[in-house]
Parts: sequence; C-alpha cells; structure tokens
Amino acid sequence: MSAVFIGVTLVHVFFPLRKRGAFLLKISLGTGLGLGITSCVLFFSLFIFGPRFALVPEIVLVIMALVAWMFMIKKGVPAEVNLSPAEREKFKYGHILAVVFGISLLSFLVSFAVSVAQEPHGKWDAWLIWNMHARFIYRAGEHWQNYFHSGLSWTHPDYPLMLPLSIVRSWCYMGAESLSVPIAIAFLFTCALIGLVVSSLVMLRSKSQGYLGGLVLLGSPFFILMGASQLADIPLAFFLLAAVVLFFVHDRSSGRRHPILIMAGVAAGLVAWTKNEGLMILFVLILVRFFLVAAGEDGWKGAVKQVLWLMAGLVPVLLVVAVFKMHLAPSTDLFIDQNIQKIWARLTDLQRYKAILYAYIQTGLTFTQGIPDIRTGFRLNLGTAGIVLLAVYLFLSGISVERKDRGNILCVLILTLITLGSYFVVYLITPHDLGWHLATSLNRLLLQLWPTIIFIAFIVARTPEMVFPSEEHRRRETGAVLDKAGKRKRKGE
Amino acid sequence: MKTKKNAYQNPRFVIALILLTAASLYGSLDLLISKVRLYPDSPWNDSVSIHEKRMEPLKEMLPPAGSVGYVTTVENEKFFSLERNFQNVELLGQFIATQYTLAPVFVYNTPEYPLVVGNFLSGPPDPIFLRRHRLVPRIDFGDGVILFERRGES
Repeated sequence: MSAVFIGVTLVHVFFPLRKRGAFLLKISLGTGLGLGITSCVLFFSLFIFGPRFALVPEIVLVIMALVAWMFMIKKGVPAEVNLSPAEREKFKYGHILAVVFGISLLSFLVSFAVSVAQEPHGKWDAWLIWNMHARFIYRAGEHWQNYFHSGLSWTHPDYPLMLPLSIVRSWCYMGAESLSVPIAIAFLFTCALIGLVVSSLVMLRSKSQGYLGGLVLLGSPFFILMGASQLADIPLAFFLLAAVVLFFVHDRSSGRRHPILIMAGVAAGLVAWTKNEGLMILFVLILVRFFLVAAGEDGWKGAVKQVLWLMAGLVPVLLVVAVFKMHLAPSTDLFIDQNIQKIWARLTDLQRYKAILYAYIQTGLTFTQGIPDIRTGFRLNLGTAGIVLLAVYLFLSGISVERKDRGNILCVLILTLITLGSYFVVYLITPHDLGWHLATSLNRLLLQLWPTIIFIAFIVARTPEMVFPSEEHRRRETGAVLDKAGKRKRKGE
Repeated sequence: MKTKKNAYQNPRFVIALILLTAASLYGSLDLLISKVRLYPDSPWNDSVSIHEKRMEPLKEMLPPAGSVGYVTTVENEKFFSLERNFQNVELLGQFIATQYTLAPVFVYNTPEYPLVVGNFLSGPPDPIFLRRHRLVPRIDFGDGVILFERRGES
C-alpha cells in the first residue's frame, strides 16, 4: 500500500488534473509507477546499505508523501493542467455499453481468481525467473547478491529486478514470505492497466470510447491469462502505455506541462527496469519522440527542451538499470556462445526469415486468443478480440483524429514498427532453437504492445458520441443552427 | 436537418459497435466458462505446490546456503534438450521447481557435488548410475525424494 500511496501522491503533485476520468487515471498511474519507483528505491537501498536498513528510504518517501498531501491541503492544489476538451456529449446508448463493460469486468475478476487458484505460483516463467529471483534475494539476507554469480544462467539472473524487488519489499514489510504477494502485485498491475486504458480514453476521447477500449482489452483472453500468470509482460505493457498516454496528455494540455514529461520519463525508464527488451523500447521511444517533435511546430529547440525534462524523470531510473547491469547482472543468454561467424550464418539463412515472418503473421492474428497448445498449433478464432476485429471496427466506424494527437500517433506507429523489426533481428540471431524461441516468447512480446495498440485504435476511431449524439445535444445543435439562421435573416433584412 | 455528422453512414457504425461489443464479451465469457469448468478438478493442487510439499522435508535437512547437485531418472544432460524439442517438459519442470523450493541453496544439474538431491518420481534410481557417480543414500524421505552424499567427499 505504501507503494501505491507514494505513486498516487507523485502523480497528483505532478499532474493536478480535475477532469472526467482523471481520478481513475491517477489511481492507475499511481499504482504502477509507485510499485516501479519503490522497487528502484529498494535496489539502491540494498546495494548501498544492505538488507538490514533496506526499507528506511521508502519510509522516508512515505513521510515526504504525507507532508506533500498536508502541504497541498493547506496551500491548495497547484495550478491545473488544461486539456483541450474531449467529447462532452453523452452517447444515447451509453448505459448499455456501461452494463456490457461491467459484465466483462466481473468476468475478468472471476477468471483471474480461478486462474490464480489453479496456479498460485504463476506460470512457468514466474517460478523459473521472477518469483525465483525474489526468493533468492529475500532468503539469502546479507548474501543477496550471490545468485547473480551462481552460474545458474537458465534462471536468467541478467533480467532486471522491478518485479522481484516489488515482491521482496512486501515480504520485508510482512516479515515473511507469502504467496499472496506476487498474486496481489499481478492483480494490481493488471487492474492498473485496464484502468489506464479506460481512463485515458475517457479523458482524451469520450466515456464510451473508454468503455470500448476496456472491453477489447478484457475480451482478449491472453491478456487475462498473462495477468494472472505473474509474469513481467503486463507490468512492461503498463509502463509503456503510461509513457505514451502521458505524451498525449502533454501535447493536449496548455497549462504547466513539464511535470507530465518528467512522469513520462519515469514511466519510460521503468520499461527498461522491468525486462531486458525494455531498454530497446525505451531508446526507440525517446529517439522517435525527439525527431517527431523536432520536425513539428516546436522545432529542434523545443525537442531538446522536452528531452531534458524527460531525462529528469528517466535518469534516476536509468541509473538503477546501469548499476544493476554493470555491477551485478551477468551476460544475457542471447550473446553467450555467439561469434561473428555464427551470427553471419544465421543472418544469411533465408529459411529463418521465412519462419519468423510466418510466425509473425500467425501469432499476430491469434495471440489474443489464449495460450496456444503447441501440439495442435494455432487456430484463428475471429470471435475473440484481436487485430482483425480492431481493423474491421476502424474500417466500419471511420476515423477522426485530433490535430494535436497526430505526432504521438505517428510516434507510436513508428515505435511499434521498429520494435517488431528489432525483435525480428533478435530471432534471426538467437542461439536458441528458432521454433522453440518463437513459440515461447513471440505472443508475449506482442501482448506487451497490445494495450498501446488498443489505445491508439480508439484515439483515432470515431466516437459513438459523434455518430449518436444525445437528444439534448440534438436540441442544442438544432437551436444553435436556428439561431444562426435567424441572425443571418435579420442581417439580410 | 442533414448535418455533416449525420451524412456518415450510421448503420455501418451500428454494425461496428455490435461486432466489437459481442466479440469482446464472447472472449471474456468464453474464458470464464472454460476456467470455471476446470476449477473443480484442480483447486490449489498445482504441480509446483505438490512438488514443494514433496521437497519440504529435504529442505529442512539442508544448510541455509551452499550448493547441491541433482539427479533424476534421466541423464542430466538430456532434460533441457527434451524441453527444447517439446518432448518432455516435466523433467525440466521438476528440476526448476526443486531449485525454486530450495533457494537460496543452489541446485546444479550434475551429480558432482558432496550432497545431491535425488528426485525419482517414476521409479527407483538406477544402481549402476549411483555406483558410477559414487552416490550413497543419506536420507530417503519417501515419494522418490532422496538426499545422497558422494562417497569420498563428505
């Protein structure tokens, strides 16, 4: 709870917004960012002070957060950030959408609970990597660094520690290990991600658009299964979407904007602190953002300014990643036993290109359906929410893009393409069996991008409010049109 | 009055909305039904929890830190490759679950350690294998879990 408290406080201080959807947005952002930030604090604390005083810096942060709330209550909330107005109108059948969303949400909660009951330790990678690392760190006490040098490369001790340390800090508070902690953290991140998709769309588009985005996410069985699996893909997806949403909010607002960029920097940094591929995603995101801003109205000066504000949030987290990589983490298994000749041989093998492309298409069309049975292969089920459904929806509903969103939409599209391209290269040169590597990872890599893709789809799609305005809106429009006509007539007379 | 907005084809949007809503609801309800159907068969009875219960008595006998070896019914070199070929993930899963349970003690995939964890779910250990690696049972915990010591190294 202290992590959520710190996170929500930070978000409220940096992002003092009172708009429709803002409360849920702050809770969602605060939950994820709080967990990420406190894991960074614990890492530094362990590294510098050791396990005995590991929680002291976090307790200091909690006190600072309490003081910040008292200050805000006494002095009043800092100046608001103004967003350009999203759809204020009501959708005629919005209540039906709300009910359907509610049913889907309830279904998700029960499915999550049952999944956890069936596999309380999570899926394979949870007890092979994330929960395993948490146990090594927590149980080893003063010797918590030993497992990084143990030679147990199959457990990937090079993987960043956001998730394991989030688990460890809760165990430290409890004074004992508990299976409920990794389960609770998985639940928090999954719910925060759903909340982030819904609230960001509500704020930037419309209420119905938020419900639709949330429905598509909840209608992706693979998302719910991975949420309950206690893996790091959902937290990574959360931090990536958080950074993207904050870019959108920054560009739409006209008030005090720089704190939003700092928060975006923190979120972007936490992508790299969650999984190894996060480093690549982070650099691509910052680079693409920089060049798009430079090419826009703000120019190179504006782009440099923005990156500096981003760095203010990014650098502390990157410092954690750097210390971890330089002092503790062994080499990643992708580069073990590799040399130029082997890499060149794989790069020039056309069969590998075909195999990867085929896997991209097959997995891209089906990954949201669930965990595939490797023995029976993939089967396309058009009845599930996925890329095909989104594409059909966009085709039928049409698109309507806010001018201020164009840069960020392009940024995300380029980021997605470059990320998928980078993964393609990784699969090309992987020392592991290609079929095995694709089967055990590609669907999760796509899932990391899925919430952001849903967000972008509904940022560009026309809203139900545009097509089916409420009676009140019709009357107002009719009244406004009649007023205009009347004025023209009187002028003419 | 025909406005620019109303000029857009509403039936297409209705179809889009219905399609999206129905497919998404189907996806989440389908998962719920399949999950609930499976539930009575395996409440909190997963393979990792079962393995942890088996290994618990052995864990108490081990020192709080250090390294041990590991042996099972198949040669140590084989079970990573069996998993990579999608032939048998159970053996690798058991090894990983053993490490997961016994952490922070390091469990190495080899019999070349003074203390060796034996995991024999599908039958007793091969005596020739044990002789070759000089493994002598120290404690048999039952259910295929045996703590060996390497002769000449204790």
